[in-house]
Amino acid sequence: MSKTLSRSRGRFAIIGVGNTSGGVMPLTSTGDAMFAEAAIMAIKEAGIDKAEINGLVTHGTEDTRVHQQRIGAMLGIQADFATSVDNGGASQVCSIITACMAIDAGLADVVLCGYSADYRAKIHRAGKKQAVQLVPESMLAEQFRFEFGYFGEMASYAFGATRHMHLYGTTKEDFARVAVTQRDYASRNPDAQYRKPITVDEHLNARRIVDPFGLLDCCPVSDGAGVVIVARADRAANIKKNTAYILGYGTGNNIGGLFAGENMSQTAGLVSSKTAYEMAGITPKDVDTAQFYDTTTAQTIIQLEDYGFCKKGEGGAFVQSGATGPDGVIPTNTAGGLLSEGHVAGMWHILEGVRQVRQSHPAERQVSGAEIAVISGNGGNSVCHGSLVLSRNPS
Amino acid sequence: MKMNAYNKPLPIPTADSQPFWDACRESKLTCQRCDDCGTARFPPHHVCSNCLSVNASWEEMSGKGSVFSFTVFRRVYDPGFADEVPYVVALIELDEGPRMLSNVVSIDPDIVVCGMPVKVVFEKATEEITLPKFVPTES
Ligand SMILES: [Zn+2]
Repeated sequence: MSKTLSRSRGRFAIIGVGNTSGGVMPLTSTGDAMFAEAAIMAIKEAGIDKAEINGLVTHGTEDTRVHQQRIGAMLGIQADFATSVDNGGASQVCSIITACMAIDAGLADVVLCGYSADYRAKIHRAGKKQAVQLVPESMLAEQFRFEFGYFGEMASYAFGATRHMHLYGTTKEDFARVAVTQRDYASRNPDAQYRKPITVDEHLNARRIVDPFGLLDCCPVSDGAGVVIVARADRAANIKKNTAYILGYGTGNNIGGLFAGENMSQTAGLVSSKTAYEMAGITPKDVDTAQFYDTTTAQTIIQLEDYGFCKKGEGGAFVQSGATGPDGVIPTNTAGGLLSEGHVAGMWHILEGVRQVRQSHPAERQVSGAEIAVISGNGGNSVCHGSLVLSRNPS
Repeated sequence: MKMNAYNKPLPIPTADSQPFWDACRESKLTCQRCDDCGTARFPPHHVCSNCLSVNASWEEMSGKGSVFSFTVFRRVYDPGFADEVPYVVALIELDEGPRMLSNVVSIDPDIVVCGMPVKVVFEKATEEITLPKFVPTES
């Protein structure tokens, strides 16, 4: 056990969270307005005055710069420590890790972390009918990609899914099980973007997008915001009701890229989770619920393996056994995940982990007796990765 | 638009990649090899990621390799590909080591598998750009 890692165990806590509901906002909404709504809710839940917030870590959509300045000005937060982070889909977990490090260094005491997405609204404002192009125009002048007809985020994950099927015999039926299970959770979540239950047949017969993925393997484009307030654990002790302790965290990067080694069939969660578990002083057996960054159904399966809930290559059989369902050994993406709750770039995964360990959900959504949750953020073409271990108790 | 005008995105060569595209025009598949440590690299870069040497030479590859992984595009993301779907986008592992994104053509997309042996063919897009693509070979 590394002394360096264990010294951070349980020293920080999430003292309040907030979110917009829906994933589908009025098309005239702005990302800033959504962020404000989530921030007001989080500050209220934390029971603090906004003047106590002296740290700000945010992540804007791909077309924003120095996002934290705009947010700070809008909310009137005089943050001595303020920055934006960019780790793609890992940004939200990495925001919280950055907040912990800033508090540890004495640069801030109470840090507000947040993200808002207004892609659907942006498409509306731009008058486009097609999905928004997430790659900035300037990057379209690339080579070795678009000339071969390689477009969109889903194709990158499709390469990994194809490879996983080739190496381990994973099937489209396994992917279907992930989609059906997560939709079942979403059906109980009034804030989810997609709530109507689906069947395996509906999944398998859905419009094909990029093999092996059909429509129901792919996360949607969503609008919405989530905000998390981080503070020292001793401070959190005064406001116990809304607290989730940060028992551990970790990072990993498959920095060689999606196309190097076996990176496409395994995330950097392999490294990141080990670090987080070691800091937390736990093993996967201690975890009651997992919230995995699920850009596609395959990503849920791959991370179940990388986080040690089953052996590498056995993720398909593992989900088929019902392991990720409400009565399974590791209820996973219990609010519906990106696939059904909506793609707020993983910020809602963190909120769901917080609510599970606080045991603040109504019975039909609560993982019975949940004390420890693990959360992943995965992004940047499946290169960047961050992990959080949240706990009901500080140790 | 004129009939037969090429209407798909085209690569925009950089100082580092221009020799690659020049060679494609002559139906040669090339990559850089580090003059100092011998590591073959693709896509083209200014520096060797193994030893940080900036000295490299271009050499012709065999054009043979295998499909490392792939996806079949069923959805049209760019109007230039409207008549192409379904088409195969694949990561080719070349016999010399580097991996290259391309298309597997002249095959029913439904029978492409990982590990399938392929070899390069060249498709002229414009006077300046010829694209390297791959076709299956007899194992
Ligand atoms: Zn070298």
